[in-house]
Amino acid sequence: MSELLDPTSERSAALRERAPRPESLAGVRVGLLDISKPRGAVFLDQLQSLLEARGMTVERFSKPTFTKPAPLDLRHEIATKCDVVIEALAD
Amino acid sequence: MHDSVNLEAAGIPTVFVASSEFVDAADAQSRSLGADPARVFVAHPIQDRTDAELVALADAALDELLAALR
Amino acid sequence: MTTDTDRERTAAVTIPDGLVAVVKRDCPTCTTVAPVLAQLASAGALTVFTQDDPTFPEGTNPVDDRNLAVSFALDIDTVPTLVRIEGGAETARTVGWLRSAWEEITGVAGLGPDLPEYRPGCGSLTQDPVVVDRLLVERTVPLLRARRVALGADEDVHEAMDARGWTDGLPVVPPTPERVARMLAGTTRAPDDIVAVVPPDLVECTVEKVAINAVMAGCRPEYLPVVLAAIEAACTDEFNMHGLLATTWFAGPVVIVNGPVTRAIGMNSGLNALGQGNRANASIGRALQLTVRNVGGGRPGEVDRATLGNPGKYTFCFAEREHDSPWEPLHVARGFAPDRSTVTLFAGEGVRGVVDQLSREPESLTRSFAACLATVAHPKLPIVWDAFLVVSPEHARVFRDAGWSRQRLTDEINAILQLDGEQFVQGAGGIAEGMPEAFRATTLPKFRTGGLQIVHAGGTAGLFSGIIGGWASGSVGSEIVTREVTR
Repeated sequence: MSELLDPTSERSAALRERAPRPESLAGVRVGLLDISKPRGAVFLDQLQSLLEARGMTVERFSKPTFTKPAPLDLRHEIATKCDVVIEALAD
Repeated sequence: MHDSVNLEAAGIPTVFVASSEFVDAADAQSRSLGADPARVFVAHPIQDRTDAELVALADAALDELLAALR
Repeated sequence: MTTDTDRERTAAVTIPDGLVAVVKRDCPTCTTVAPVLAQLASAGALTVFTQDDPTFPEGTNPVDDRNLAVSFALDIDTVPTLVRIEGGAETARTVGWLRSAWEEITGVAGLGPDLPEYRPGCGSLTQDPVVVDRLLVERTVPLLRARRVALGADEDVHEAMDARGWTDGLPVVPPTPERVARMLAGTTRAPDDIVAVVPPDLVECTVEKVAINAVMAGCRPEYLPVVLAAIEAACTDEFNMHGLLATTWFAGPVVIVNGPVTRAIGMNSGLNALGQGNRANASIGRALQLTVRNVGGGRPGEVDRATLGNPGKYTFCFAEREHDSPWEPLHVARGFAPDRSTVTLFAGEGVRGVVDQLSREPESLTRSFAACLATVAHPKLPIVWDAFLVVSPEHARVFRDAGWSRQRLTDEINAILQLDGEQFVQGAGGIAEGMPEAFRATTLPKFRTGGLQIVHAGGTAGLFSGIIGGWASGSVGSEIVTREVTR
């Protein structure tokens, strides 16, 4: 593991920062990303109905396999269709 | 976890859901990616749960998931 | 830069009075004279400092000098060296083995009867750049105070730096503690010295933080003093770096370097001086940009609101071509002694060319310059924008032959660029842009006093000069600022 000296004012975290959060979740488009492990879809189906009941739009996505990161095209599709993402369900 | 970090890097707030068995693994993976993605844990196990139990897990997780996205 | 003898010598070392020898085991002459050293040491008259093996030479109770502190303090270049110290001062020295010299310094006759009369010495480890570099790093790294960022095992170093927002879009050199330690050898200033308060976040910036960003920008240690001076100049109230970032205008800091340092570090003032390809030019300007970005928080899309920007905002730094200039160097014109080095900062946009391949008389060439300078920002806008005119050697020759000083050329251009209100009020010429109607009866200069500056640079072929347009001048914008470069 290599170690670097921080070139910044050190006012922010040394870890990668999270993306800025929306001010409100009202009406946001939520992506549900199924990592494709068995039983995960049941969990996500319920989340979908809960989110839709709160007025959010839900888009479903599935990874081809839970063993690898999502392919670039899928990430791009998610990024263009969604404002926020919930990824589930690892066990 | 890679997906969360990649989507966050693309500006999409993302939360990752895993079973409680994954707490340590998720922490280690986060460290090795130099990131701190939002993550919510539900009670292990998953595979042998009934549908009703999985629905209950989703109901219980909802507030925490929404909190991680705003 | 691998040595920093000033700093070495300030290290606290104790050198006893009497006879002092400096040796290393990895030297055949030292091993040859080992019995002599043992003889002198057992008589209590000698202290031996050893550079490599603290057990050598046997029988002398040697003092470990593997950090070379004593060797540097005594300015040793050859081993063995035998020195006589009296009252803290050196009174005699010999290098290598020459029996007569050793006998004279020690006052002992018949030294080393089995040895040859003479053996030359070997190089001191203080002359070994690898060793000196290692010591420098070992000594400096513990002084560094910046937060250590441990990269994850799965993180690619380049992606990790970019993901943390540390880059300007181009690759940067990873700022390891070792590289930063070497960078700091380029200055005599302490790592925790405050260089400036950097806008827009108004962060106190240490020499160490500048060194980190200079490493990332690709600087060599000997460039660091120029970078430090550029940051000091950029962070003055007069230069107004905060405003320069926040403006929607194109401009960014342009760094013009003068004086001996430009030759010492190999800056380009000649062919393609404003272009790519010279490491000092490229990395000094970039180190300023990265420091403002990383320490000050001046990032595009945040405080930096440029509508279009310009490619010089990555880096824009060059040296004046002084050696065959018809004029005194820019820094001398701005009040500094010729043997000083300076940086002059100007809030400039991109470069535009001026073609004139026919003017042989200074009056004609001056009119060409004036006609092109009149268009800076807009031909109908007087006074507000400054400009730098970069005169190339072939154009400069016309003024040298005519005996025109820099001031004369400046005055002649300004005399031509007295703009007529009829021409520049709003609506004149069918162009809405312009000065308010109230100025119709006035005449205004294109440039305020001091707003037009001239510098000599470029290759020797090409009847072209360059114009670097400025930003809003003076108290509403930026003043040109010159600062001395010190080590």
